[in-house]
Amino acid sequence: MATVKLTNVKKVYDNKVVAVHDFNLDIADKEFIVFVGPSGCGKSTTLRMVAGLEDISEGTVEIDGRVVNDLQPKDRDIAMVFQNYALYPHLSVYDNMAFPLRLKHMSEDEIYNRVTSAAETLGITEYLMRKPRALSGGQRQRVAIGRAMVRDSKVFLMDEPLSNLDAKLRNQMRAEIILLRQKIDSTFIYVTHDQTEAMTLGDRIVVMKDGYIMQVGTPTEVFDMPANLFVAEFIGAPKMNTMETELLREGDAYFVNAYGARIRVDGEKGEALKSKQTPTQKIILGVRPEHMQLSDASNPEAFRCTVQVNEMMGSELHIHALTGTGAQIIVRIPTVDLSREQRASLGAGQEIYVTFTGKVMHFFDMESQKNLLTE
Amino acid sequence: MSIEEMKTNSRVRKLVKETERANRTKGRHMSLSKQRRLSNTVIYIILTILVIVWLIPFFFLLLDSLKCDVAADGVTRVTWQSDNIFPRKWGFDNYVDLFTRTSFFRWFTNTTIVGLATAVLQTGMVLLMSYTLSRLRFRGRKFLMNFMLILGMFPGFLSMILLYKLLSDWGMTQQNSIVGLILVYCASSGMGYYISKGFFDTIPRSLDEAARIDGATRAQVFGKIILPLSKPILIYTILTAFMAPWGDFMFASYIAHSTDIGKNVAVGLRDLISTSSGMADHYTWFCAGGVIVAIPITILFMLLQRYYVEGVTGGAVKG
Repeated sequence: MATVKLTNVKKVYDNKVVAVHDFNLDIADKEFIVFVGPSGCGKSTTLRMVAGLEDISEGTVEIDGRVVNDLQPKDRDIAMVFQNYALYPHLSVYDNMAFPLRLKHMSEDEIYNRVTSAAETLGITEYLMRKPRALSGGQRQRVAIGRAMVRDSKVFLMDEPLSNLDAKLRNQMRAEIILLRQKIDSTFIYVTHDQTEAMTLGDRIVVMKDGYIMQVGTPTEVFDMPANLFVAEFIGAPKMNTMETELLREGDAYFVNAYGARIRVDGEKGEALKSKQTPTQKIILGVRPEHMQLSDASNPEAFRCTVQVNEMMGSELHIHALTGTGAQIIVRIPTVDLSREQRASLGAGQEIYVTFTGKVMHFFDMESQKNLLTE
Repeated sequence: MSIEEMKTNSRVRKLVKETERANRTKGRHMSLSKQRRLSNTVIYIILTILVIVWLIPFFFLLLDSLKCDVAADGVTRVTWQSDNIFPRKWGFDNYVDLFTRTSFFRWFTNTTIVGLATAVLQTGMVLLMSYTLSRLRFRGRKFLMNFMLILGMFPGFLSMILLYKLLSDWGMTQQNSIVGLILVYCASSGMGYYISKGFFDTIPRSLDEAARIDGATRAQVFGKIILPLSKPILIYTILTAFMAPWGDFMFASYIAHSTDIGKNVAVGLRDLISTSSGMADHYTWFCAGGVIVAIPITILFMLLQRYYVEGVTGGAVKG
C-alpha cells in the first residue's frame, strides 16, 4: 500500500512568487500519475515537495496516511529519477545502484542480488563496472532508473526523465517505462511537459498551468472532455483548432457558425446541450485537426480554405490552411485514404473544402473558457 | 543620373578600393605556421629569462649552503661575504652543524606540527564552509559572504596587538606557542571559502538531491559524494593551508621570539643571523636551513602540481 495525498498544498518562494496554489490530489496505490504542463506551471515544484527537496509552504503531503511535511527526503521511502540522471560520476554503475542499499546497511550479498537482477531487467549487466561517463544517454537513464528500482520504495518519482534523450530513444524508453511499470509494483508520479508521454504513460493525468490544476482525469477523459480551453489546446498534437463563434439554439436543435459554414450539432454533444437547456450564446468552438475531413463544394456543411503548408508526416498529412473567414486551421488527414491525385491537389495555394461533424465539437464559455458541457 | 545616385556610386567605389587595399596587404602577411613559430620563440625567450631570474637566488642559496671554506688560519670558517661564488671546499658541514649545534630540529618539528595541524583543520573548515555557502540557503547568507570578502581585504597584521594580548593572557605564547599559532592560522580560515565554493557550485545540485533521496544525510552527501568529486580543490586547499604556516614569519615572530622551544623555522633561522656577529658566523647555516625548508614544499608541489592547477582553474571557471 502506498497512497499519496496532497491537501491544499501551496508553495510560496522567498521572493513571494507563488509557484503552486492550493493543490489537492488523491493518488491511489500503484497508480501512475502524470503531472503535465508548460514550463513554469509548478509541476516539478509539486513533485519536489512530495520528495522533500522543497519546503511545503502550506497544506499537507501524506504518504501512506502519514504526514511527511517535516520528514527528510531519506525518511520518506521514495525513489526519484532526475532529468539529468544525477549519477554519481566517481562510482561505477554497480556502486551507483548499490549506493542507496549500502546506506541502509544491507548485506553485500543482498545488494549483489538486487543490483544484478535490476541490471538484468534493464539490460545493463554488461556495463556494471563502467563509470557513468562511459555510457550513452539512454544507458545512463537506465542506470538512474535502476538505482531507483533496487530500493523497493513506496513511491517512484520521475522528473522529466526522458527530456535529455533524442526523439527516437525517447520513444523507445517510453515504451520501456510502460513495461517496467508492470514489473515494479509501486506508485508513480511522473512529471513531463510532453503531452504524448502524459497520454501514453498515465493512468491519470494532472494538467497544470501557472500553479493551478486545470484538470485531473484519465487520458481519455482529458482528451475527449477537456475541462477548459487550456487543456483542450495543450493535450493533442497538432493543437486543437479554436475560433470565436456563436452557438445557436433553434427549438431543440443547435447549430454553430464555423468558418462560414453552418454546422448542426448532433450526437451526444447535441443531446447534452439539449438536456442542459443551453441558450444561444457566444462561445469558443474547438475542433481537433484529426476530426476535420476533406469534403467538396456540394456539402452544405463544408467550408472553403486555401492550403498554405502541407506537411507530409508519413502516415498522415498536416495541412495548414487559411479559411474564407481569415482563420488559420490545421487539418490532419491519414495518407492511406488519399489517392495520388488527391494528394497532388493538396499543394500550397490549392482550394479545398473541409468539414467536420457535430459529434466532435468542443464548446467553451467565452468568459471563463470552461467547457460548457462539464459545468 | 541624379545627385543621390552619384553619391552612392562614389561611396561604392571607395569601398571597393579600400577592400582591394586590405586584400593586398593581407597577401603580404607571413604564413600561419611562421607566425606561430615566431611567437613561440618570443614566449620561450621571455620564459627562460624569468626562470633564470627566479632560480638565481635559490642557486646561490644552495651554493652557499655547501661552502665549507676555511680562512687563512685553517680553522675559522668563512661564511659571509666570501668573494667566490662556488665553494672552494664542498661539503655538508653546514647541514650537520645546523642539526647538532642549533635548535633547528626543534624548530623544524614545531613548524611541521603547526603546518600539518593547520592543513587538516583549515581544510576541514574551508570545505565545510564552502559547501554550506554553496548548497544551503539561509537568512543572511549573502551578507555573510560579502562581509567575509570585505573583511578578508584587511591585512591580517592589523589584529597583531590584539591577538598577542589574547594569546599571552591564555598562556599560548613563547614555549606554548604551537597551540597559539595553530589557533591564529585556523581562526579565520572559513573566510577563504571563495575558490572552493566556486568549485562546489559547478557540481550539479541534483547529485546532492539524488543522494539525499537515496538515504544520505547532509554529512554523508558531503563525505561520500561531494568530497570524492572535489579532489583537485581538496588538494589545493590542503597545500595552501600547509604552506602559509610553513613559511610564516610575522605571526610566529611575535608569538615566540625569546625561547628556542616555541620558534618555527622562519623565526629560528632569522634569529641565527639577526645580529652582525650571527650574520658573520652562521650565514651558511642559514642557507642550509633555507634549502631544507624548501625541500618538503618542492616535493609536495611536484607530486600534486596537476591537482593544484586544476583546483585553481576549476574554481575560477565559475566564481
